[in-house]
Amino acid sequence: MPEPALHEIATLDEVDRDGAVREAAEAVRGDTRAAFFRKGGVLAGVGLAAALPGGIALAQGTPKSDVKILNYALTLEYLEAAFYAEAIAMGKLDGVTATFAQVTGAHENEHVAALQQALGSAAVKKPQFDFKGTTGSEGTFLRTAQTLEDTGVAAYQGQAGRIKTPAVLASAGAILAVEARHAAWVRDIIGAGQSPSPAPAAFSKPLTMKEVLDAVGQTGFIKS
Amino acid sequence: MTPDLTPLKKFDTDGALQEAADGLTRSSLFRRGGLLVAGGLAAGALPAAIVAAQGVPKGDIAILNYALTLEYLEAAFYRKALDDGALKGQYRRFAQVAGEHEQAHVEALKKALGGKAVKRPSFDFGGVTADQATFAQTAITVEDLGVEAYQGQAGNIKTPAILAAAISIHPIEARHAAWIRSIVGGGSGEPSPAPAAFNPAKDMSAVLAAVQGTGFITMDRAESGSAVTAQPQMTG
Repeated sequence: MPEPALHEIATLDEVDRDGAVREAAEAVRGDTRAAFFRKGGVLAGVGLAAALPGGIALAQGTPKSDVKILNYALTLEYLEAAFYAEAIAMGKLDGVTATFAQVTGAHENEHVAALQQALGSAAVKKPQFDFKGTTGSEGTFLRTAQTLEDTGVAAYQGQAGRIKTPAVLASAGAILAVEARHAAWVRDIIGAGQSPSPAPAAFSKPLTMKEVLDAVGQTGFIKS
Repeated sequence: MTPDLTPLKKFDTDGALQEAADGLTRSSLFRRGGLLVAGGLAAGALPAAIVAAQGVPKGDIAILNYALTLEYLEAAFYRKALDDGALKGQYRRFAQVAGEHEQAHVEALKKALGGKAVKRPSFDFGGVTADQATFAQTAITVEDLGVEAYQGQAGNIKTPAILAAAISIHPIEARHAAWIRSIVGGGSGEPSPAPAAFNPAKDMSAVLAAVQGTGFITMDRAESGSAVTAQPQMTG
């Protein structure tokens, strides 16, 4: 059975393609969207921000492109964290699925906190989300989690070669591995190691920022 | 503490591996212009004999050979486990799939290194593969170590295509690690497939020390000078 693409996950309503969603997706994506990076990239006014994972500080003079990548990561982490928080709050999860949601959600919260702390005033604000009822049953929760985690892996992988700051690369690598662990874990919960395979290929495939943000935009999960 | 790399030294044909382990991979190296743009390469694909191309730094060659050594070990481990026949159900499936992946990693790295590839070492897994539980615990250790190893090198790699390849393997090792932990844990969540929010990294000396500590890599019999007939050379 083919794995659900991100855009197939919205189960209840038609994907909300109105201006609010499109605008949100474009704001996250655009190179020239100053509103997204309110302080314009380099962390000029921030000084030495608190440590990224690994105990490394994000220094002044960090390239604009690295700040953009960190904010991209933060947006995805906001989404994952909010998804797991809602799923836990819905109370429909049992056994190892509940454990997975708790553990994974806690990790995504830590990722959010670390990225926010590193970015300081350059951090994008948390969007508003609508998970379209996917948190309301164990089955849709699991399938959605699988796709979100797989997408997270591809997103981090897609940025690794573009990162200029060693500390940022180290952090991205540390998170990438954990998103891959999440992805394998949830796949194993769903399919007991058969289908979907926890490790579907010998080499992981990256996605570009545009590919990821397009897919996220199509889910309608980001309301504003 | 610099590990004793004696078991691996014979593979370090130009001192690159030792040099990398000593951390001398940085300031003396530089990228030549126009080299090996990563764009357009399929995930995991490295050009054949990439290291024969001009300008691939010695440190990158050492890292590829380091990765190849670890992949040789993993591939051999899974093959031995399957041959031993003690694995059932999800354990067996895991070993089959992970083993196929590690073999694909071996082949890709060998192809990229061409004549600079280290030879496959001899391994002795000391019976851990003959029992499902010890196999699983060892797989957890080996896969976790693989994740830490790749992660520890990402920042050292100078060639974009090589970084892209390493970053395409690193998450797969992480998937393997989580998978076998999930199997062992059943529905209990312990051992956790994802034990921490940020995966730790290990530098090359720490990984090599850990590998050496397992005792899995042995001397070739032919080199030991003993009267025992040399083992057939395996070409994996």
